[in-house]
Amino acid sequence: MSTHPLSENTIVAAQGLGKQVTTAAGELTILQAVELDIARGESVAIVGASGSGKSTLLGLLAGLDLPTQGRIRLAGEWLDELDEDGRARLRGEQVGFVFQSFQLLPSLTALENVMLPLELAGVDKAAAPAATLLERVGLGARLDHYPKQLSGGEQQRVAIARAFAIEPAVLFADEPTGNLDAATGGRIIELLFSLNAEQGTTLVLVTHDDHLAERCDRAIRLDAGRIVA
Amino acid sequence: MMLRDLRLAWRLLLRDWRAGELRILLLALIIAVTATTTIGMFTDRLQRAMVEQSAELLGGDLLLQSPREIEAAWQARAAELGLAEALVLEFPSAVLHDDEMQLSGVKAVDERYPLRGQLRVSRSPYGEEERVDQIPAPGEAWVEARLLTLLGMALGETIELGESHLEVTRVLTFEPSAGGGFFAMAPRVMVNQAILDEAQLIQPGSRIAYQYLFAGEDAALQSFQQWLRPQLEPSHRLLDIREGQPTVGAALERAEQYLGLASLVAVLLAGVAIAMGARRYAERHFDMVAVLRCLGSGQQRILALFLPQLLWLGLLGSLVGIALAWGAQSALFYLLREMLPATLPAPGWAPLLMGLATGLIVLAGFALPPVLRLRSVPALRVLRRELAPMPLRGWLVYGVAVITLALLMWRYTGSAILTAAVMGGAAVALLLLGSGAALLLRLSRLLHRRVGVAWSYGFNNLWRRPLLSISQILAFGLTLMAMTLIALVRGDLLDTWQAQLPPDTHNHFVVNILPHQQQDFAAYLSERDIDSSPIYPLVRGRLAKVAGEPLGDRIQPGDEGAGAVYREMNLTWTDTLPSTNRITAGQWWPEGGPEDPMVVSMEQGLAERLGVSLGDVLTFSFGPQQLEVRVSSLRSVQWDSFQPNFFMIFPEQALAGQPATYMTSFHLGQPQRGELGPMVRQFPSITVVDLERMMDQVRSILDQVTLAVEFVLLFVLLAGFAVLYAALQSSLDERLHEGALLRTLGASRRQLRSGHLAEYGLLGALAGLLAALGSELVALTLYAQVFDLSYRFNWQVWLLLPAMGALLIGLAGFYGTRRVVAYSPLRVLRGL
Ligand SMILES: Nc1ncnc2c1ncn2[C@@H]1O[C@H](COP(=O)(O)OP(=O)(O)O)[C@@H](O)[C@H]1O
Ligand SMILES: [Mg+2]
Repeated sequence: MSTHPLSENTIVAAQGLGKQVTTAAGELTILQAVELDIARGESVAIVGASGSGKSTLLGLLAGLDLPTQGRIRLAGEWLDELDEDGRARLRGEQVGFVFQSFQLLPSLTALENVMLPLELAGVDKAAAPAATLLERVGLGARLDHYPKQLSGGEQQRVAIARAFAIEPAVLFADEPTGNLDAATGGRIIELLFSLNAEQGTTLVLVTHDDHLAERCDRAIRLDAGRIVA
Repeated sequence: MMLRDLRLAWRLLLRDWRAGELRILLLALIIAVTATTTIGMFTDRLQRAMVEQSAELLGGDLLLQSPREIEAAWQARAAELGLAEALVLEFPSAVLHDDEMQLSGVKAVDERYPLRGQLRVSRSPYGEEERVDQIPAPGEAWVEARLLTLLGMALGETIELGESHLEVTRVLTFEPSAGGGFFAMAPRVMVNQAILDEAQLIQPGSRIAYQYLFAGEDAALQSFQQWLRPQLEPSHRLLDIREGQPTVGAALERAEQYLGLASLVAVLLAGVAIAMGARRYAERHFDMVAVLRCLGSGQQRILALFLPQLLWLGLLGSLVGIALAWGAQSALFYLLREMLPATLPAPGWAPLLMGLATGLIVLAGFALPPVLRLRSVPALRVLRRELAPMPLRGWLVYGVAVITLALLMWRYTGSAILTAAVMGGAAVALLLLGSGAALLLRLSRLLHRRVGVAWSYGFNNLWRRPLLSISQILAFGLTLMAMTLIALVRGDLLDTWQAQLPPDTHNHFVVNILPHQQQDFAAYLSERDIDSSPIYPLVRGRLAKVAGEPLGDRIQPGDEGAGAVYREMNLTWTDTLPSTNRITAGQWWPEGGPEDPMVVSMEQGLAERLGVSLGDVLTFSFGPQQLEVRVSSLRSVQWDSFQPNFFMIFPEQALAGQPATYMTSFHLGQPQRGELGPMVRQFPSITVVDLERMMDQVRSILDQVTLAVEFVLLFVLLAGFAVLYAALQSSLDERLHEGALLRTLGASRRQLRSGHLAEYGLLGALAGLLAALGSELVALTLYAQVFDLSYRFNWQVWLLLPAMGALLIGLAGFYGTRRVVAYSPLRVLRGL
């Protein structure tokens, strides 16, 4: 099925990717003929207007959903060859997420939220590395606070600490600054890029913020489900 | 991996606990377990106490009466099963003192008597009563006080019984197994069996009743009864504690059914609360599961993380519930110690284990399905929040819940038929009520145009989500209905019991009134304003043939009820149907007797057992003489009425010429008790039987049963409130969110508050209406089928329930939604 060879250095690749959904109004095409090749350590911005299919593409690349056409290779494995649990395992080992709406667990403290991926991975003493990470994002004094006691920017920093906890090969971020004011958003971006540099993580970032896109090595522009640049 | 997941699950549970996510679920579970376990322990102890009391009346757990010694094999079987045994001989005999003679009922007991209960005696006539563990020594006799009066003697003097001389050392005040029939009416004399040979009282042909008492474990008693029954002959009578005391037996049985039903309702209600709590719990964990799946957890892993939490929760809730139940029942027994028997059996382990099992089963049945659903929360939910797992397949949820319920119900009622009937009825009722709720909801839309903006916002909340509203109306309605039913049945049961033994119940029977004294005796009673039943003639006769067939062919072996007629029966004549009887077939004859006097009116239960129908010819024998009569009517008889009751009533002409004595029953109040002595002196031939003590015992048992019933009601109400609370909580989340949004859009606090009041008030009123309908329907069937009570229409319910529902649920909802306006909309929207 693959038409061109994948280089050793490729960590995320999409070939002939398409996504259709059936709605009450009929067949709706969200993505069409998407070709993508992201190298290890690269930072890539996915930009485009609201509704252009950015989140859908991110979800497919991260293995949260399956495409209707085409194939995806993530961290050396073809996603369509794995079942849902296999994809979950792959995510647990290789992938970190940061979301627009933070997605922290409200019943867990900041520290426990960051410990969670480590605990799931079977790390015995998860508290120490989690605390170190929270200090790294500037929340060393807020370990025992619950998400609702933190501001939006602080919550997103907890989410970033959680995403980096397992030292992922790829970090997917869906509009990480979308819910934040410009200044706070700026600090979040700095944090993302510096951790990215420290850990050598690949960064795939959805945004409609052109400034943010410019800081990436490369930008992919989506328009109505197609790559236009 | 397994162990690590268990640890992680434990930590997640603790974190949830701290965050207050588990409160409702745990609370509902604790209420379910506390309610059922308390009821279980309370009734278990009380029942055992009541059984002990009944056993005390019988002198053992089981009494086998036989006209001769029973086969050694039967006794061997009883011994093999570990049953204790004692033998009591009862026979009539003349007792002499100086020149006076009195026919008495003699009871010769052995050292083992009584197996249950204690003899009570006093050291002077009508003196202070004491409990004793001995029986009379071989040279002694213990006698009833009235025998002393009749013989004109005092304690310490000697009586002659057969060839033996016995010193009367005690006055007998209470004897266990004051058993059977005719002998019981004569004054009682108790002696030691060791004297029988010397006294030469037992001759071939003497009328002796051999009463074998047995006592032991329930299981052993049951298997002994099962083994024995098929071998019994018509002349044998086997009594267990229920049959020994029809009044108590019937009350016990109904109470057991009521308590079983009530604890079931408590479980059911708590189950609904748990289901609601679990649904809310699951829904509030969708996001967590989505994140967990993003972080790499597979479906198995999700279950491995959540199922242990459920199990721990179940264990915790059950243990707390059991502990609370233990405390509650101890406190209750302490509070009620005055009304209860002095020595109570200790609480057993069975109800505790049952409580634990109930907790886990209810949790599994009602909470497992929503939690299993967590497994299929899609990871993509982190990007698209509206993605929820597929709704549960109906058959799974309802299947599990129905099976759980059926199992519990079967365990609590002990009857598969009742369980099937109730489950079937409930299914139909649910369908009917569901459509009823839908209809009510539609009808309530007519209100729409008549209310203000705020109210119509509230009402609209209900109409916008018809399915949710219907399910809420159903939940609230069923809860109110269950609570109402339990309260209704309670009231009617108590009334029935109270009516059973009103204070003026006849507490004395008189037999052996001679024909020529009959007028005088009636006059004697009416002069002293003593309330009495009519004076009935008593003719002893035997039913020989039914429709020409010998009676023996008609009696099932071991059918004691029918077997009773094999012995001599008490027959009577009258032209007036006794007030406690009702004609169920045929016709009662007019005053002055029927045209054809050769007829009889027969008790319908006996007629059924012997296969006799209206118009059949019965043959009675009186010594050598025979009498053929046609059955002209069947009667139902209220056997527990404490008045003379008869299997067979004839017109006077039919029994004319047969030798008769007369009997009656009357009520003597405490101040009139002194009348007894003069009465016996004026009519020396009569025998007065005092039932007061027995009735006291019955009353105290009824009091205890009443208590149990009241107590259970309390728990059903508690469980009901738990459901209301859980149901409210689960609808609150949404209201909070919506309310915050509306406030940001400019709705005023007042508008929102009155909107919520209107919404929950209407919900409560509709639920109340539904509950009224449902409880009337269920009561109608339940009363007739299970409790044997007569149903009456309760119009109050139709007013009270909707009003109560509106008030209760309206206020609770109003209170619960106060946070919508108490906090800033932002705080609510940010997910407080
Ligand atoms: N499962 C779905 N069902 C229906 N419509 C969908 C579904 N997923 C995405 N869409 C639609 O596809 C379009 C693209 O969505 P999305 O990828 O979220 O866009 P973006 O993130 O660029 O704003 C939107 O119009 C969205 O409503
Ligand atoms: Mg998007």
